[in-house]
Amino acid sequence: MNRFFVAETAVIDAPVERVWDVISRTDRYAEWVAGAIEVTDHHGLATVGRTYAERNRTLGPLKTDSIWTVQEIEPLKRRVDTGTGFAPLQDLTNTFEFRPVQSADGREATEMLYQVEYTIGLGPLGLLLDAIQQPAMRAGMRTSMANLNTLLRSEASRTAH
Amino acid sequence: MSSTQNQDTVTSHQARRADVVVIGAGLAGLTAARELVAAGRSVTVLEARARVGGRLLNHRLGDGQVTEIGGQFVGPTQDHILALAKEVGVATYRAAVPGENVYVRNGRARRFSGHLLPDPLALPEMGIALARIGQAAAKVDPAAPWRAPNARELDGMTYETWLRKAGITGAAVDLVNVFLNSAYGGEARDASALFSLWYVSTFGDETHPGTMERGTGTTGGAQDSRFVGGSQLVAQRLAEELDGRVQLNAPVRRVSQDSTGVTVVSDAGDWRAGRVIVAVPPLVASRIVWDPLLPAQQDQLFQRLPFGTLMKCVAVYDRPFWRAEGLSGMGLLRGGSPIREMFDNTPPDGGPGVLMGFLGGREWRKWAHRSAAERRGAVLRCFAQVVGERAFDTVDYVEQDWTAEQWTQGGPTAVAAPGVLTDFGQWMGRPHHRVHWAGAEFSPYWNGYMDGAVRSGQHTATELLHQI
Ligand SMILES: Cc1cc2nc3c(=O)[nH]c(=O)nc-3n(C[C@H](O)[C@H](O)[C@H](O)COP(=O)(O)OP(=O)(O)OC[C@H]3O[C@@H](n4cnc5c(N)ncnc54)[C@H](O)[C@@H]3O)c2cc1C
Repeated sequence: MNRFFVAETAVIDAPVERVWDVISRTDRYAEWVAGAIEVTDHHGLATVGRTYAERNRTLGPLKTDSIWTVQEIEPLKRRVDTGTGFAPLQDLTNTFEFRPVQSADGREATEMLYQVEYTIGLGPLGLLLDAIQQPAMRAGMRTSMANLNTLLRSEASRTAH
Repeated sequence: MSSTQNQDTVTSHQARRADVVVIGAGLAGLTAARELVAAGRSVTVLEARARVGGRLLNHRLGDGQVTEIGGQFVGPTQDHILALAKEVGVATYRAAVPGENVYVRNGRARRFSGHLLPDPLALPEMGIALARIGQAAAKVDPAAPWRAPNARELDGMTYETWLRKAGITGAAVDLVNVFLNSAYGGEARDASALFSLWYVSTFGDETHPGTMERGTGTTGGAQDSRFVGGSQLVAQRLAEELDGRVQLNAPVRRVSQDSTGVTVVSDAGDWRAGRVIVAVPPLVASRIVWDPLLPAQQDQLFQRLPFGTLMKCVAVYDRPFWRAEGLSGMGLLRGGSPIREMFDNTPPDGGPGVLMGFLGGREWRKWAHRSAAERRGAVLRCFAQVVGERAFDTVDYVEQDWTAEQWTQGGPTAVAAPGVLTDFGQWMGRPHHRVHWAGAEFSPYWNGYMDGAVRSGQHTATELLHQI
């Protein structure tokens, strides 16, 4: 079994409380997670032990249905979920970590770590497969965090109610 | 019947009198009233709201500027509304703003000019779709769609089913839905194929057969022009001309008729008239208490003509910044996007910049119940895809959800599901004894549009004058 770790970080231009509010909403993943076309089942505010389901884009035109279980919640700091449905990727673990930081002009911002851990069987073929899929996965993770940044910006617009 | 007659005799003592009572001060009701007054009849218009215009509504931007949050566009072959506006002194101007439009697909934005979408895969399919729709719509008589060849077969399936049967698939169906999102407040799957082809056949007049291109087009099409001062100004001018004959805050609750006349019971009192014109949306009309009851088929028809689900979302900026970047502010956004179609709605003499997007159909169903801040965020993200991130720097943001309006109940117009037109369509404009019908939904041309409303108001006034 080959076990892989893929991690990306980004600075989100919003206080950690606002970031946490959005990432905790299992109904909202299609609004910022790249490749999540639709949340097909959710339980609202993420709760340990409960699940949610997504329709995802994988490679090219391929689509898949995934089911995620919330494993760990450390408020404002860390979220860990495990997922199924991304064959040949198995034992998928998705981790978000957050740390308050200050932006260059002194505003409250959030450093986000986005990490995905998984195994691919198939021996050497698995390594080859990962070499193909990993760059797309990384790009997706970066896009997701950029989307999250834009989402928070759009909801903080001057005329916010 | 006898108890009703007693009640009418009692109320008719206090009732005010008019030759004709018109219910509803939208374009159709006001136009009908104008014709009747010109013919020397005494008329009262009873309007439920505290304003006239119905589905036409100006939003004030300050400094005397407005932008529309209801119907706004007019174009060639819509001669009735254009002539009427001219008569009441409301000028028009070209709606299109110079610059490139933007096409957004899978989150990627591409600029384009004119009508040619920058999508080589979707284009040929769209061409085929337009040709098939054109051929089929040409066989439908705008005045009697139920007489079309294969009417029952066409009315037995949804428009989406018909499109797919005609070999039109993914991209073109989605592009048709971009249009229907605002035109129906729905999608091809909500409407009957016969209804939809008929709807296209109404995009014209007695000498210009309806075409899809005219319905969807900007310059030269239904989105060609707008009114200086906003479309509601046409209704306001008509009401001014009617000089005290429009009674606001007068929702009509009950209409009773007997051999001598009609009693109209409203929250502002009762009226007794020889004839009544009902110029309210069909479904809203079915909720008035009718005595005697409407013919069952007509009542069933009105219940089966609900409006779509549509909201206009408007963002205001200190100026139309996108114009300096060579953009027209017009955007078409493919499936999955909350806003599917958007326009530059800046007032004609510049002033604050205004972007307007339609949140309709399925997207409305997905977003209407979300929190206002989340929905506004989603709308602004669509705008940002088209004009860039300055779209987030709004000075004002306004939504008009027509489904939340008691006296409209959706928008922009009625959409018939399979089975309605062939089984009940012929009951559409049939007078119910002394009660006549008017409204955009009763017109064989530009059905559901301002022009249809004006045509229908004129037609019904003429029909009524022939009978009294
Ligand atoms: C968001 C939106 C966008 C649109 N865009 C366009 C466009 O670009 N171009 C175009 O041509 N058309 C457009 N339309 C459609 C256009 O606005 C309508 O076709 C037209 O205004 C209808 O006029 P009407 O008089 O038939 O009906 P309405 O305007 O609906 O008038 C009916 C009146 O009756 C009143 N009423 C209802 N019930 C009662 C009662 N019980 N008692 C008393 N009064 C009552 C209502 O308050 C209303 O004033 C749009 C509509 C919407 C909602």
